[in-house]
Formats: sequence, structure tokens, C-alpha cells
Amino acid sequence: MKKLSLLGLGLGMLASLGVTAGEAAAQSTLDIVKQRGVLRCQVGTPAPGFYQLDEQGNWYGSDVAICRAIAAAIFDDPSKVEFQSVTSAVRFTAMANGESDVLSRTTTWTLFRDTQLGLDFTTVNFYDGQGFMVPKDTGIKSSLELKGATVCVLTGTTTELNLTDYSRTNNLDIQPVVFEDSNVRDDTFAKGGCDAITNDKSSLASTRAKFPNPGDYVVLPETISKEPLGPVVRQNDSQWMDIVKWTVFALVQAEEMGIDSSNVEAMAANPANPEMARMLGVEGDLNKGLGLEKDWVVRIIKHVGNYGEIYDEYMGEKGKFAIGIPREGSPNALWTKGGLMYSPPFR
Amino acid sequence: MANLDASSSDVTFKPKPSLPPPPNTVGAIGWIRKNLFSSPLNAFLTILSLYVIWVLVSNVFEWAILNAVWEAETRRECLDKVGLAGACWAGVTHWMKNFIYGRYPDAEVWRINLGFGILILWMAPFWFPRVTGKIAIGASAILISPFLLGYLFAGGEKGLFLQLMISIAITAFIFSWLHVLVCLSSGSTLRNVIVSATGFAAKPDNVQKYPVIALFVVLAVVVFALQGGWQLEEQNTNLWGGLFVTLVISGIGIAVSLPAGIVLALGRRSKMPIIRVFCVAFIELFRSVPLITVLFMAVTMVPLFLPEAINPVKIVQAIIAVCIFSSAYMAETVRGGLQAIPKGQYEAAQALGLSYWKMMTLIVMPQALKLMIPNIVGSFIGLLKDTTLVSIVGLYDLLLMLKAVSQNPQWNGIHTEPLFFGAVLYFVLCFIMSKYSQHLERTLGAGQVRK
Repeated sequence: MKKLSLLGLGLGMLASLGVTAGEAAAQSTLDIVKQRGVLRCQVGTPAPGFYQLDEQGNWYGSDVAICRAIAAAIFDDPSKVEFQSVTSAVRFTAMANGESDVLSRTTTWTLFRDTQLGLDFTTVNFYDGQGFMVPKDTGIKSSLELKGATVCVLTGTTTELNLTDYSRTNNLDIQPVVFEDSNVRDDTFAKGGCDAITNDKSSLASTRAKFPNPGDYVVLPETISKEPLGPVVRQNDSQWMDIVKWTVFALVQAEEMGIDSSNVEAMAANPANPEMARMLGVEGDLNKGLGLEKDWVVRIIKHVGNYGEIYDEYMGEKGKFAIGIPREGSPNALWTKGGLMYSPPFR
Repeated sequence: MANLDASSSDVTFKPKPSLPPPPNTVGAIGWIRKNLFSSPLNAFLTILSLYVIWVLVSNVFEWAILNAVWEAETRRECLDKVGLAGACWAGVTHWMKNFIYGRYPDAEVWRINLGFGILILWMAPFWFPRVTGKIAIGASAILISPFLLGYLFAGGEKGLFLQLMISIAITAFIFSWLHVLVCLSSGSTLRNVIVSATGFAAKPDNVQKYPVIALFVVLAVVVFALQGGWQLEEQNTNLWGGLFVTLVISGIGIAVSLPAGIVLALGRRSKMPIIRVFCVAFIELFRSVPLITVLFMAVTMVPLFLPEAINPVKIVQAIIAVCIFSSAYMAETVRGGLQAIPKGQYEAAQALGLSYWKMMTLIVMPQALKLMIPNIVGSFIGLLKDTTLVSIVGLYDLLLMLKAVSQNPQWNGIHTEPLFFGAVLYFVLCFIMSKYSQHLERTLGAGQVRK
């Protein structure tokens, strides 16, 4: 008995940190988030461009910015986000068990995931695709020239599957060299352990940047898979799904209209056209269906910027943290510039 | 015959002084010949090993020290200076704070330092030979200090219960150290000092404890009142990380697993069927699943079964999983030790009329635990290293923090250096534990050494 009570006391610290009970069972995710006062947003373990830690321990990146935009829309405060960083193995479970409110991490939208995991994909905030990178001095100009080549690839990912599919389709007889750890894969490639390396093109850009001489490597033009990435929510809460979806749309629409973080308040005070007035909450009540305040779009743009600003900051070539993926001519350009970024109208 | 007898009385046999040993069998040369070059095969193996050691050491030295870059703002700077030929320690030094404290805010880091400082001071009397009552001090450190440390680390609102426990913890700490100071200065105990100061010395033994308890209560009440208005800012546990989290998880795992393991091992050998079946089931269940499965169950599956109103804290779930798992292993270690005690010891204890608990605590356990030290410390070291698995469920322990650097655009791709640093850190921690266990074996096993 004595030992047992000792054991019980030993768990005292656990009890003192304990279980924070007391959150009443609420109906919708929005109510839960409002009551909790903070958005729980799931990101992955650090990946350049999308979500990373800085030396001060803050999260930043393009997927992180989506989390902050949602928090800004709800609370008018982009810091009211609790980031949950879990490995990709448990990402869907952490959504299903209610741990996270929204998943904003490089997750490819597929039919299977959308229909069989109890989750809903909202929309696409980044169009990625798998490509190849080779040393420049090999003179290879197209991935169709990779006949019989050894290719470094991460195991257990769709990347590996896409590679073998592509090899079979085009009779390339590619030999995959598989790795568990991306750093080891990149080191092997840099030391000539394989002829080419394959991954999503966004990751290839940051892989290239870690080599002593990035100029010695070239990303081949072909894109062999479609990887539309976007935020994911739990199924059967359409209001919450609408909030997340229209937050992304608001970012895109704002860029299309030329509204950015520096001019959004001036624009709201003096909207250029009726659609802008509706979107910025000056006219009408578009916010009602979402359960947000009238100025929700103003809050988002004011705190986080529009889609273009986010892209330049983290993915593009201008920002301090940017990983250098050109936007022009890619699917991530606005539809008015030949890309796929297109928001339904705000009316 | 007579002749011999006569001569033996006045002539003694004097052996010639021994010749010195051949010069090539003594000293350094002798040692080398004997141990390294005693046969052609051994000579070959020696040269091969020397070559391997030379290659390893010279390359590591060249990479880690000779060509290393210590000052840089980004990895690009390092690469421009030395390429991949030298280590880029600048990345490690820039991220050192994150490796140690995780994402804990800079301004609040003193709380972690203070907490671990208190714990070390609390445990320090173990190393002072003249101090008595070490078991009481150790027990208070393990049982009560978690409330104080837990609050220091987590902060936030404290309820009445927590405030009370913190007061008791602070008072116990003060008492322990007063006692230590008394022991060291006068060789007496705190109890004797208090008793004689209050004039209770003449009273019977069972009354003497009252002034001690009274003083403790008074001090606790004063502390309780003083810290009423004292509150620390809440730090969400998902900011915890790095070595800090590794030590918290493995420390609690170690502190819980030993007593829990002893209880389970005794239960498994118990003659009471329900207790025995429960203990056997618990031990076998958790020993036959990998730690990672237990962690997954605790962190991602359990919330599915809990009511929505309860929001479990991830690190607590992970700690519980680690404790359960390591207790099951510890139970088998302890059972092994119990079985090594000859039956005669149990029978002798019973013949003396000792109860079950007295037999265990006075006769069996002291002998068994002494035998088990190498295995117990082996489990502890294993546990410390196993805690890296919590990175898979998304706790930013030391390993995950070390890996995070390589994904930061400024330090893009730097991964050998942080992992090298981590390996050295783990080695130091494990080596200290291992050395301490050897020290314990020597002191506790002194009675068994044949001289």
C-alpha cells in the first residue's frame, strides 16, 4: 500500500500539469475555437518554405501563413495559433481525434484522402508537382533521357510510386535508390551516389540550395505528377470548411484586386468598386454565413498580406526566408497571368 | 650424513642474485611485445587497427576542428569558406538555445535553470558522507519536488491544492538543507537541534517529534502565505523542447519505473491470485509491444475514446506511456534480482517472525537491489535513449530539434554537425550514469569483496 501511494505521488507532476478539463462540448469547430481563444493548426515537421522554425522558435512559412490568416479572420490576431507539429504518419489521426482544427501542411489532395479519411479538402493554396534534378555537366535536358539511370528517392512516399509509374510508362528502366532521411539522400546525390534526384519541385529548389555549388545542378522541365496542396478540415462541418476555404480565396482575390497589407485599410475606407466594398465588409453582409465579423477580409490582409505577398515572402525569390521558386509561368500564378490561382467571386 | 648436519649449522645457502629480466620483456617495449606483437597474426591485427584508428581520428579531427567554421551567419557562408570539408559549428552554436530549451521563450528560460538547479541541490546531500537521513531527503526530492518543478516549468493559475503542495515542497527543501548544514557542521541532526532548543529533550521519544512537525507546519504556512500573490506566466507545453524535454520525460520515467517495477515484481511473485494475474498481464502486455506502439496509442488513439471536454496534454500522455513501458521492463529486472536471493534468506526472515513487508524491506530488497544495479542502470540508460522516439508523435525533444535546423533556410541542409553534437551530448549523459552505477556498486558491494 505504501509503495502504491508513493507511486501515486510520483505521478504528482503529471497531475499538476494535468488534464485541462472544463471545455464544454461545443457544436461547431468555430464555436470550439472561439471558446478556446486559440486556433490549433497542424503543420508538419519543418519543411523549407512551407513551415519552419527560426532561431527564436517561431513558426513561419506559407502554410503557417494560412493558419495565421484563419486566426486573423476569427480573432483579429494572427498570433492566436497553437501550432501542432506532427510527423506525416499521424497527421490524419491527429485531425480525426480532434487534436487539430485544421491541417495546413503539404498534403496532396487525392480522391482517396478526400473520401475515405473523414476529412474534407478545402481548396488548393499551392500547386506542386514531382520533378527531377541532375548535375548540369551531365548535359541531360529532359527526364526522358534518364534511361537506366539511378535516381535517389525517399521511401514510403507517393514520390517513389510516381517514379516507378513514370519509369514503366516511358520504358526508362530507372533504378530507384531509396532513403529514409532527406538529408542523407541529398548528401548521397551530391557525392555522385545517383545520377538524378526526384522530389516535389518545391523541395528540389531547397535541396539545390543546400549544395556547395547550387549552380552545378539543374531541375528538368518535366513535371511527372500533380500535387495540389491545401488545407484540410474534418468532414461534416460546412461552416468551418467555408471559413478555411474562403480565407484562402480572400488571399487570392485580394491579390487580384491589388489589395495588400499596406493599402488594405485605405481601400476599405474608400473601396474602388462594389465587389471590393462587399469583400471588405463596407457593403452588404457576406460575413454572415461564415459566422465572422464584417471586416474579416481586412483583418486577414492587414495581418498576413495577400497571396502574392505570402508567396514572395516564403516561396518566391524576394523575401528574406524565401526558397527561390519562380512564380511566373507556374500554376501558382494568378489566373489573370496564366496560372491556376482563381477565386470565386465575392458576392 | 653427520657431515651434512654439521655444515648446515654454519653454512647457509645463498642463491645468486637474479639476473635482470631480458630488456625486451619489461617496460614499454616488453608490454608492447607481449600484448600487441606476440604472434604474426596479432602483429598484423595491431597494425590494421592502428591504421583504422589513424584514418578515423585524423579525418574526424580534420573535419571537426582543423577545417571547422565557428563564426558564420548562414550555412552558405560556411560552404563558401570550406565547402563540405569542414564542420559548420556556427549552425550548432546559433541553435544551442533551441537544442537545450526547445521553443521556450528566452525571457523565461531562468525557470528551467532554476528548476534543475533546485533538483540538483536537493539531490546533492547523497554525495555528502556525513549526512544522515538520506532516504528521507531522496524520497522528498522524488515525491514532492515535481510539484514545485512542474509549476516552475508550466506556470499559470495555481489552484489551492497546487499552492499547498508547492509550499510543502519549498519547506521540505529548506528543511533538507537545514538538516544537511547541521549534519555537516556539528554532526548532529536537525531533529536533535530543534528538540533541544525547544526544551523537549527530556520528554519521551514519541512526543519529541511534535516540535519538529510544528516548525514544519509553521514554515509551510508562512511560505503558503508568501507565495499567494506569486504567479508565473503560463508556458504552453508545446513550447517545451530540446534537452529539457528529453530530461523531463526520462527523469520522470526513471523516478517512476523503479518503485513501480518493484511493486509489479513483488506482485508477480505474490501468492494472491488476483494481484499476480494483474501483474503478469500488465508486464507481459507492455513488454510484448514496442515503445512506439505504446506512444502512438497514448498520444493519438486515447483522445478518440475520451469525452470531448477533456483535452489531454501531449507531453503528459507521452510521459505516462514511457512510465508504463519502462515499469514493465523494470519489473522483470527486479524479479531477476529477487530470484537470485537464496531461499534460505526468506526462510530465515520468516523464522525470525518478520512480516512480509519487513522481510522484503529489511532482508530481501537490500540484497536484491544491490545485485540488480548494473541491470537497473542499464534500463535507465536505455530509457534515456528511447525517449528520442517521442519525436515521432511530435514532441520536440533533443533529436527533433537537432533535425529541425537542417530545414531552416539559413542553415539549409546542415545535419551532420547537429547530430554529431547530439551524439556527444548523449554519450556524456549515458557515461555519467554508467560511472555513477559503478561507483554505487563499489560502495554498496563493499561487504562482498573478498580480501
